[in-house]
Amino acid sequence: MTDALVLDDVCKSFGPVRAVDHLSARVPTGCVYGFLGPNGAGKTTTLRMVMDIIRPDSGRIEVLGDGRRAAQQSRIGYMPEERGLYRKMTAAKVLTYFGQIKGMSDRQVADRARQWLARVGLAQAANRKVEDLSRGMHQKLQFAVTCINEPELVILDEPFSGLDPVNLDATRGIILAMRDQGKTIIFSTHVMHEAERICDRILLINRGRPIVDGTLDQIRARWQAGTVSVELEGNADLLAALPIVERVTPVDRGLEITLSPEADPQQLLAELVGRVTVVSFAVKVPSLHEIFVNLVGADSEQNS
Amino acid sequence: MNRILRVAQREYIEAVKTKTFIVSVLMTPVLIGVIIFFTSRLSLDAIGPRPPRTVAVTDLTGRLGDHLKASFDQYNEAHPQRRIVLELLPPEPDLDALLAQAKQRVRQGEWHAYAVMEEGIVDGDGKVRLYTHSKRAADIDISGTIDRLLTQPVVDMRCALRDLSPALLAEIRYVPVEQLAADVGPASQDTRMSEIDQVIKMMVPFFFMFLMLMGIFGTGQQMLSSVIEEKSSRVIEMLLSALTPFQFMAGKILGLAAIGLTVITIWSVPAVLVLGLQGINLDLGVALPICFVIYYILGFLLFSSILGALGSICNTIKEAQSLMMPMTLILVLPTVAWFNIAQNPDAAFARILSYVPPITPMVMILRISASPQIAALEVVATILLLAASVPVAMWMAAKVFRTGVFMYGKRPALREVLRWLGEK
Repeated sequence: MTDALVLDDVCKSFGPVRAVDHLSARVPTGCVYGFLGPNGAGKTTTLRMVMDIIRPDSGRIEVLGDGRRAAQQSRIGYMPEERGLYRKMTAAKVLTYFGQIKGMSDRQVADRARQWLARVGLAQAANRKVEDLSRGMHQKLQFAVTCINEPELVILDEPFSGLDPVNLDATRGIILAMRDQGKTIIFSTHVMHEAERICDRILLINRGRPIVDGTLDQIRARWQAGTVSVELEGNADLLAALPIVERVTPVDRGLEITLSPEADPQQLLAELVGRVTVVSFAVKVPSLHEIFVNLVGADSEQNS
Repeated sequence: MNRILRVAQREYIEAVKTKTFIVSVLMTPVLIGVIIFFTSRLSLDAIGPRPPRTVAVTDLTGRLGDHLKASFDQYNEAHPQRRIVLELLPPEPDLDALLAQAKQRVRQGEWHAYAVMEEGIVDGDGKVRLYTHSKRAADIDISGTIDRLLTQPVVDMRCALRDLSPALLAEIRYVPVEQLAADVGPASQDTRMSEIDQVIKMMVPFFFMFLMLMGIFGTGQQMLSSVIEEKSSRVIEMLLSALTPFQFMAGKILGLAAIGLTVITIWSVPAVLVLGLQGINLDLGVALPICFVIYYILGFLLFSSILGALGSICNTIKEAQSLMMPMTLILVLPTVAWFNIAQNPDAAFARILSYVPPITPMVMILRISASPQIAALEVVATILLLAASVPVAMWMAAKVFRTGVFMYGKRPALREVLRWLGEK
């Protein structure tokens, strides 16, 4: 299957500031792709270039297997970070209007608008003006506007900001349902635990450059091996003597053991068994948050 | 194309629906009608009584006093609500002192005017020296009356000296002039041109220029505020994900042009109907309406591209207004100079202004409606110049728009905006 999106060595500067710096990435069709990075990392700029709202200085962007992006617009749904809707129009009218300018026929639009209002829970609010809607309703309406034309590729810039837990769950549900229909969803966020919950693949960027790219499992696997936390009964001094152990730090009642690179946690367990009583043994799975903070911190230090 | 029409449709409906639009479009002709009605129907007497004004006179001839009194009395009898009181000051030995004192009283507003009838005024080369001070708008009709009241006795006395009856003089002086339209047809069917006809004929160029100005400027404003609204409400990026900037702008311009035409129709149809009911035939010909539409479309395209770009770099209407200042000044020029241009449509001044693209439509429509014989070459040349400036303005506007519309916060400096023009 072709990739839904290909970025090839894309650069974009605003005056002296390099917002996107030789960024390359591939987004396979049919996945939920998390586009992560701290504020000012270049996420929004990249997404705007994908939407052809701004143009890259150099590099190539291929959307849905086609270099000519304008023609693809009806196949893409985009929810920008800076988003709003016509305040004086009713929810149903706004939805209809966006359906129309995305090239849908009147009959199609009428059906879809009703469906989507129901899907995001705004059926009751269809004839209320946008300015009378609450913030959460506003956001859900924007989500419906983005998806009204059933796009193959959905791009969401910070879709979870400002949502309460109930709406968050609902939005997440819709995203996963769309993925199950074979659609590709790209979203940017700096809320790591959200990304962790629904992303199949992740691209972490900082200062316009990619830092990590891969599936969530790959990324975890790469960063998890480092630490093991154990709770032992008996003399733990032997730990320090083991060649695979780099450092031992007491934490609460147990110990946190940093292994040397390349070392397998299973090896450590084998060494321990028989010599001491192992009360608990856990290979620490780093959260995306920790990976993020570590990597971005290291990257920023290196360059400052 | 379909999307462009959708954008145009929304722009049109949303603008026409607003109360401001309905009120301003419907109220303007009503307001103008009311003003015209009252200024023409209300005679001065109907405004109400005016406190009497005093005119002091020193008669150096010593012969005019009674005649002056008679002249003023006759007037006051006829206009009891707008009396002009005559106060005769006998000449004193020290005339300079008298004059100084009198002038002071005029300055203080005690007297409306002070007149000195010089000695040789009846049989020599004397004159009336009339001293006045402030000119109050309420007294606009009074100076002519005073002139007449002061000079009539002199004329009468001159007649008496020469044994001439004043009635005969009036008869001799009366030569009727009939204003007729130079229509085709026998003399018996000549149509009389009243004064109002002539005023209307004179106002026709202004009327067309005004329509043009409102059509271009008024709806251009709409462009500005609608772009700013879309930017400040953050809807713009949602739109640009579904539309190319070209589709977006083209749709907006189309919708707004339709609004402009609606306004022009709403305003001009009743005007033409009213004139028709009054029996006034404007006889505009074919060329004028055609030129009007061409100039309107081109002028609107030019102006709304400029305003679209302007709106994209501003965050609030207030910010935009300061940037609008230079545009407004240029556009106001034809309104200020319209009389001059209409009177001398072929003068260098009018010609030069015709080649300043943003005001070309206004100036040219003034010139064409003032003098239909205007050189066709000039019409073609100005249309070509205007048509050439439209794509240039659109290209520049698109560049500015693309970058400007995503700049929130501080408004970019002019230098920065110019730099965007160089970006690809």
